[in-house]
Amino acid sequence: MSFNRRTFLQIGSGALGLAITDATFTKFAFAEGAAGTLRVAIAKPAGNLDPQSHYAIWAIQDLMFEPLVRYGKGGQIEPCLATDWKIEEGGKTLHLTLRQGVTFQDGTVFDAASCKWNLERWLGLDQFSWMNCSKYFQSLEVIDEHQIAVHFKEPPLALMQELSYTRPPRFLSPKSVDANGKFVEPVGTGPWRQLGADDTQSVFERYDGYWGDKPTYQRLEAKVIPDPRARVAALRAGEIDLVGGFWIAPLTPVEAKQLEAAGLNVVIDPGNVTLVMAFNPDRTEALKDPQVRKAVSIGIDRAAISQALYQGFARPAGNLFSDALPFAGTQHDAPVRDVAAASALLEKAGWTGGPVRSKDGTPLTLEIVVSPDAVPGSRVVAEVIQSEMKEIGINLIVRSVDHASKHTDMLERKYDLGFFLTYGAPYDPFGTVVALCLSTFKNDVEGKLFTDPANLDPLINAATAATGDQIAPSIQKVYDWLRDNDAIAPLVYVPSIWAHSKRVQGFTSPVTEYDMPYENIVLAE
Amino acid sequence: MNRLKPAFARLNKLPRVALIVIGLFLALGSFAPWLAPQDPSAQNLLETGLGPTAAHWLGTDHLGRDTLSRLIIAANTSLVSVGSVLIIAMTVGVAMGTIAGYHRGWVDDLLMRIVDVGLSIPSLITALAVIGIVGPGYWTMVLALSLAWWPMSGRISRAVAVSIMSKPHIEALRVLGASPWRIYFGHLLPGTIGAVMVYATADAGTAALAVATLSFLGLGIQPPTPEWGQMLVDALPYLESDPRQVILPGLALTAAVIGFNILGESIALNRIPKPLSRRTLALRRIEVAGWAKENSDA
Repeated sequence: MSFNRRTFLQIGSGALGLAITDATFTKFAFAEGAAGTLRVAIAKPAGNLDPQSHYAIWAIQDLMFEPLVRYGKGGQIEPCLATDWKIEEGGKTLHLTLRQGVTFQDGTVFDAASCKWNLERWLGLDQFSWMNCSKYFQSLEVIDEHQIAVHFKEPPLALMQELSYTRPPRFLSPKSVDANGKFVEPVGTGPWRQLGADDTQSVFERYDGYWGDKPTYQRLEAKVIPDPRARVAALRAGEIDLVGGFWIAPLTPVEAKQLEAAGLNVVIDPGNVTLVMAFNPDRTEALKDPQVRKAVSIGIDRAAISQALYQGFARPAGNLFSDALPFAGTQHDAPVRDVAAASALLEKAGWTGGPVRSKDGTPLTLEIVVSPDAVPGSRVVAEVIQSEMKEIGINLIVRSVDHASKHTDMLERKYDLGFFLTYGAPYDPFGTVVALCLSTFKNDVEGKLFTDPANLDPLINAATAATGDQIAPSIQKVYDWLRDNDAIAPLVYVPSIWAHSKRVQGFTSPVTEYDMPYENIVLAE
Repeated sequence: MNRLKPAFARLNKLPRVALIVIGLFLALGSFAPWLAPQDPSAQNLLETGLGPTAAHWLGTDHLGRDTLSRLIIAANTSLVSVGSVLIIAMTVGVAMGTIAGYHRGWVDDLLMRIVDVGLSIPSLITALAVIGIVGPGYWTMVLALSLAWWPMSGRISRAVAVSIMSKPHIEALRVLGASPWRIYFGHLLPGTIGAVMVYATADAGTAALAVATLSFLGLGIQPPTPEWGQMLVDALPYLESDPRQVILPGLALTAAVIGFNILGESIALNRIPKPLSRRTLALRRIEVAGWAKENSDA
């Protein structure tokens, strides 16, 4: 058989035509399969979904498991599985009225008995003593089929906020565990029932027996796409509909800009997490001096960081918490960069000369530890700060490490400067203040932002013991102390970034970074 | 001038493009601080991601730093780090290889088993383990890569050393009672270094790539020192909006790696005796016929 140019062109054209047809039909088939399905990107497999374990993606658990109360905008506590609640005996008793007509996805009725079974799985256990309600738990009393009372040894701080957390307080069907009480399958009262999950995706269908407003679409698929660029490409190719969320599948501001330019919808929420720079005076003598800390703080151009690195999406921070959170305290403007004032402060503190200032022959060299895996974008922010510190005579060494090493270094306090992210809603303000600033609170995960047992601990203890109207003024004293002593340098309020296709309508950012924002979505087919 | 002729003749045999690229790399790397038009670390957040202008010939990066200056200084970073890695790795490798080749017997067995262990672990894994223990940093990276690199030069050195040791002139030296030091330093070591240097040239490209890989992973050279691998990873988020930021360091790295590889290969090939061409064969025959004539005349 002869193989001339014509034969070659014929075979080539045929193959090309076949490939195009195949791609087109695949696209049609794909679109057909996606009808009535919301496809969301997740950065890693959903994990063990037991609400009392700590390994799953919060937002996936949020699809199936519901709390007694929900955390609403601005920290408003809203009813969910509990329709009413009363805090009695000075905060030592919580009286709950449970919602009627709620069933778990396996048909089990949600009542006082199943509520008691759930609460007893975690309340009072050592592993959950980081929550005040578990730490001070005393007893549980079933009043009738839909009423329950929980008694505490001490009034738990931020009790209702704690009950809105994703884990451990969410409710699991008593039938979804084995004879030994070990978690077997994820069955909750929420609007989504899991059909299956593997390392590539988790698939959910709408639970038609849901007590509340049911989603308008039938199916939700959480697709595992670990690589950020692949997620962006998948959204642009129409393979997924929704991407974003700090703990779900984070989008960088640069990626958001690119998606916006490509005609996709980008939703920016001011967010409720703050990027804060920590000083470690225990390691470096210079940082014991508040003047040096202030010089570093005002030597940083927060507005430029926000504009250049967050594409203008982030707001420069003047406080530990933004006003999106309850009890965030008096809001101050972010410090404006002032090289002259920073230099003057360093001179006053005895750090003189140049290009690197020194005192008693010791150069003013500081080390900042960063991990872009732990705090996205932190390396670039550190590079900007490095350049700005050079201008005021501080030699800043950037040590970029992996995620695990960053945690170890922060715990062992092997840094002079470091970045922390506040926990955000629903944990804050007390979550961050207690875990990161109270010296007596054992924090084996992030380390400490700033501690002062003599001066700061009493203020935090007073704030956590305060009730009612006393909470705001007492926690304000903590903020004032941190500010007056330049103990920390809040940099920017990290925005919450989401992007979705035109198919998704009615999207609103979630109230916390731990929720999946499926609620208001309508799919345009 | 006549003495330089053989050197030029050798250079002529090498591929010109590779020579030019490596020559440029060496020149930029050696004189980088004087060649860089601007401070490579000077940021200007108001001029981020600019295209080529009169002030910034190759534009600016995501922090408003001059890309050309950063590329030039990065050549210096790569040159120094690659050079240091190869010098350390070759010193250790050649020392172990020649000792093994000289002594043979149990010393050879012991040293070569150590080399085998070193070779059985992928070099990047070794480097990552060292950095994980010691912590990231410039000299840690150099040390880590040297530890990962020496076994290969050790193995080559041993092979060369064994071959030299079995040559008649070494045997003659031994018979004549030459001291071990004289044999080792006067004959064995110079011969081995020469051969290993050839492999080192080809390895330089791989070492440059390893330096870039570690920086790409955030475990190598730390800011503000510019490095091609780090420049690549910094520019990745802008791959779509400003591909120039990715292409430029990528091109520099690719050119250096290909240049070293071609050069190393050519040097190695030039050392192997080539079969005689027809023309040379004809010339040699004429020459040999001339000898016969001379003999008969005599």
